[in-house]
Amino acid sequence: MEQNKEMTAEESLSLITETLNSNRKEITRRSGKYYMLWGILLMVFSLIVYFLWKYTDNATWNCLWFAMPVIGFLAARLGLDKKQEGKVSNDVSRITGGIWSTFGIFACAVAAFTLIYGQLNEGADGLGRIISTLVALGSLTAEIVLLFGLAESICGVALKSWVIKIAGFVTGIGGLAIYYITRANEEQMFIFTFAGLVLVATGLIIKHQYK
Amino acid sequence: MLPKLDPLLHSELRLAIMSILAGVDETDFNYLKEQTGATSGNLSVQIDKLAEVGYIAVEKGFKGKMPRTTCHITHEGTEAFRSYVKALKKYIAAGK
Repeated sequence: MEQNKEMTAEESLSLITETLNSNRKEITRRSGKYYMLWGILLMVFSLIVYFLWKYTDNATWNCLWFAMPVIGFLAARLGLDKKQEGKVSNDVSRITGGIWSTFGIFACAVAAFTLIYGQLNEGADGLGRIISTLVALGSLTAEIVLLFGLAESICGVALKSWVIKIAGFVTGIGGLAIYYITRANEEQMFIFTFAGLVLVATGLIIKHQYK
Repeated sequence: MLPKLDPLLHSELRLAIMSILAGVDETDFNYLKEQTGATSGNLSVQIDKLAEVGYIAVEKGFKGKMPRTTCHITHEGTEAFRSYVKALKKYIAAGK
């Protein structure tokens, strides 16, 4: 690009339009790696919790979920953001960042509430306690997967991407449907494995579409 | 009578820099370099020219141990950019 090139009015306007479009595409493309990171983490955590829950018959392993946002945040900061790539932010990246942060806060708050609820029911008799814990954990999966799908769909609206909007809908409503159909204990972790898979696929599609 | 085109914006590289900054909150030198494909020296000179007239604000700092130059468009810059686009449209309309 030269600074002294004589441009016509048409060339100048075309340069502005092209630059604005390629800038927007680049910012969207960069969000793809974060979808992939969180998708992989979601899959890994869901499978770890599934196996630990299944082989120890103890639902307390769900507490491991609280470590995921910490690991994800550190991985994003130390792994993805450390590259020599220039940094950029716009309204869209700020909004999508805000959506996922809000989702994280809501998910942790709902999970913490469920744990406290379980503690409050500690006085209940054996069967009553088991039932209340299972109900709380079960509804937690349904609530989080629905919040997750909602967050992803809103991101799709912000990024003007039908792929992300549909992926959010599939994860939220599909995950909820799987939960209500199966209602299994540790198997419900596969809903999150599926959600993680959808996130990874979304990231790959974004990177491919906007390269 | 057609308005005069802002000579500071009527340059390929400076216009590209302004177009990028018009669409973001802020960005850094490396991103501008990647997007424009300009050399560091040339880009630096053009950034300084835009900063001198107050179209963009430049902040030099550090991220960890690495020096980092961030830029964002100012209110004056946004107004100048809008006027420039309006003027371009008039030129194109007059040419038809």
